Amino acid sequence: MDVGPLPQLIVSGILTGLLFALISVGLTLIFGVMDVVNFAHGEFLMLAMYATFGLGLIGLNPILALPVVVVAMFVLGALVYRFFVKRLLAGPPEAVVFGTFGLLVFLQGAAQFFFTSDYRSVLNPPFSGTLHLGGIAIGEAQLAAGLGALVLIAAIFGFVEYTEPGRALRALSEDRVAAQLMGIDVQRMNAFAFGLGIACTGAAGALLMLTYQAYPRIGTEFALTAFVVVALGGFGSVHGVLLGALLVGLVEVLGGYYIAPALKMLPVYALYLAVVFLRPQGLLGRR
Amino acid sequence: MTVQRHVAVMACVLAATALFTAFCHDQFLLSLAFTGLIFAVLGQSWNWISGYAGQVSFGHALFFGTGAYASALFATHHGSPWLALACGAAVAVVLALLVGFPCFALRGHYFSIATIAVAAIAEIVVVNTDALGKANGFELPILPPGLASLQFAGKAPYVLVALVLFAAAQIATVALEHSRTGYYLRAIRANQEAAASVGVDARAVKVTAFAGAAAFAALAGSLYAQQTLFVDAESTLGLSVSIAIALVGVVGGIGTVWGPPLGAFVYTFLARYVAALYGGHGRGFDLLLYGALILAIVSVQPEGIAGIARRFRART
Amino acid sequence: MSDEPLLRVRGLEKRFGELRALDGFDLDVAEGRLTALIGPNGAGKTTAFACIAGAQRPSAGSVRFKGREVAGLPYHRIARLGVARTYQVVQTFDAMSVVEAVTVGALLRRPKLSEARAWADEILGFVGLHAKRTMLGRSLTIADKKRLELARALSTEPRLILLDEVMAGLTPTECADAVKLLRSILARGVTILMVEHVMEVLMPLADRVVVLAAGKPIFAGSPQAAAADPLVIEAYLGRP
Repeated sequence: MDVGPLPQLIVSGILTGLLFALISVGLTLIFGVMDVVNFAHGEFLMLAMYATFGLGLIGLNPILALPVVVVAMFVLGALVYRFFVKRLLAGPPEAVVFGTFGLLVFLQGAAQFFFTSDYRSVLNPPFSGTLHLGGIAIGEAQLAAGLGALVLIAAIFGFVEYTEPGRALRALSEDRVAAQLMGIDVQRMNAFAFGLGIACTGAAGALLMLTYQAYPRIGTEFALTAFVVVALGGFGSVHGVLLGALLVGLVEVLGGYYIAPALKMLPVYALYLAVVFLRPQGLLGRR
Repeated sequence: MTVQRHVAVMACVLAATALFTAFCHDQFLLSLAFTGLIFAVLGQSWNWISGYAGQVSFGHALFFGTGAYASALFATHHGSPWLALACGAAVAVVLALLVGFPCFALRGHYFSIATIAVAAIAEIVVVNTDALGKANGFELPILPPGLASLQFAGKAPYVLVALVLFAAAQIATVALEHSRTGYYLRAIRANQEAAASVGVDARAVKVTAFAGAAAFAALAGSLYAQQTLFVDAESTLGLSVSIAIALVGVVGGIGTVWGPPLGAFVYTFLARYVAALYGGHGRGFDLLLYGALILAIVSVQPEGIAGIARRFRART
Repeated sequence: MSDEPLLRVRGLEKRFGELRALDGFDLDVAEGRLTALIGPNGAGKTTAFACIAGAQRPSAGSVRFKGREVAGLPYHRIARLGVARTYQVVQTFDAMSVVEAVTVGALLRRPKLSEARAWADEILGFVGLHAKRTMLGRSLTIADKKRLELARALSTEPRLILLDEVMAGLTPTECADAVKLLRSILARGVTILMVEHVMEVLMPLADRVVVLAAGKPIFAGSPQAAAADPLVIEAYLGRP
């Protein structure tokens, strides 16, 4: 029986999904710990991609640039929390939504103003070949990005499950008041979680530069997918993110092939609506 | 504010805009005024559902686009633009009922993301439909100017037509504030469960407001199409349009009668005009400036410019 | 038909996964009387309220109000039939003024805003909150928030009002005021079902006491009989 391009598409869908998962896990971490949907998440990703491009100019390829970008984005995230998000949290509930939206507009405008709308790709891509494995052809760069994302997601899962600060994050997302009573410094943990969430976009941005180009509006495209992934899995659920991301990656790649490339997002949005109409809290979310 | 005071402010705004339109000959400024009024109507209609009722929508362009496409279709098929206005609004109301009923079962961010998804689906469908001009959009045929064709020689008449729609939206909003539905919307925003305990059918109330808001947004879309004589998916249905509408409401102040018009004024005149002077459109300076403004407002006064005004009044 | 009480609950069950919060709960509330629902913490009193009012859907059982089956009806529909309630943890409309919040309730029977506002003012006078009518819900003290909830519930002109621990956290003076208020609510012909911890408050007020333990009623009768019942004492004090 000829299975046609299906195995190829599934592999490609999973690799795409892993990258979505890495972006989305940052979003869900921030949401879980402080109930904030960071609408500027994609713009941080965009900044990370430009940073990776910039480090490429001084000779660092994206893989070598990754740790530098991750640290820089962590610091940036913690600072944004300390000087901006923290203030918003003290205001009415909509303030956070609108504030992070303002951040989106501001960062996108800044990128357009300072970097122009041109597409930028790294000058020295470390992977350019194609691997053939039993009839499946995968770009080495795509494989490296997907595997890199897998390793980093595993690291984040491990961190959240098995380390002391990870446990504190979980305690906060389960019951803020109790966590406070147990002596967890909420403000410090919030800043830490925001930094960590943004650091995830740093890692994802560096990996994305293996296959994508940076331009001011790229963040919005990925962020939209990330919101769907997070809501699909259930806001705040770390396992839900992985499930949602793989589903969305597969649906997008399969839809793009079997329906039409221009319609690839249609099944993704339809899937989201179908899921939340049946289960308003997402697949793995708690009510 | 009392009704009398709303009427007084309304009269001043109408008179000022009419005078400006009569004496201004700068077509660029007039087109900015038109855009400002259209965004005021859009922001106001968004405010009904996202401000008063607190259900933040990022898909309001769906209804704007519905009106714009209705006008474009009628014009290319020799229909009356007035019929297009009515049909666009009617289709938008039906869409609002169809979308609102399932979506208002969702709470918070799940709702917001569903509105993004619905509008994005509409955009994808339009971009892939031949009859709707795909991604290229289509131009409206140029007709002899006059009220019958709703096309005019200069920009000034467009401003006046938009001003009528704006006045209608403002009056409707004041009426809403002083109605059962308006009270129910605010109660839902404050505490949906407690509202239900006094007999408020939250979903029905939200769907009702959503349908009214959709009609106004569609009318604004129709007028927009009549003025630009060109309609395409990205500029009428795109996420960036939905975001611009929401931000107009936020900057001005949600849940207030005068917030969205203030926000629209700031959006068009400050951000677009100043950006046009110092950098030109498309280079991002307008976004940069506007974003900075939003950041400043949200961190200093989360209730928007209208909130600053209210605080100032409370002090004096 | 006419001898059926205003509210008749039979075999009400509410399960949360494995947990049975209500497990065969029966209750009769006679028209025009004050019935008290008491029981140790976690007995299911608040769940019972939520299931009767429609805030939660019962897993099984029957709730008849005015001779009509209402179990499983949406929350707002039951409110429209004439059941109002207050919450154990106050649920005020924080961003609305006191008079606006009560107007929301008043609009249920008076769709015209001017009439609803006038009625809201009257109810605020009745509960003694009229002087604070323009204050925002969030800036009230706990005692005033409880009054506000009561006013909001009363403004819907209910036949039956469910009061969940209206006395909790009040000072003795405030408690005495609240007792007076309850008496005048009864005098208006509104039937009261209340959850209360403070037995001394209930003794002179309640016509009938129902004691709930582990989701089941273990006693129903006069307050005096309840205080003397060994099962009730055991449920409250635990096994000796």
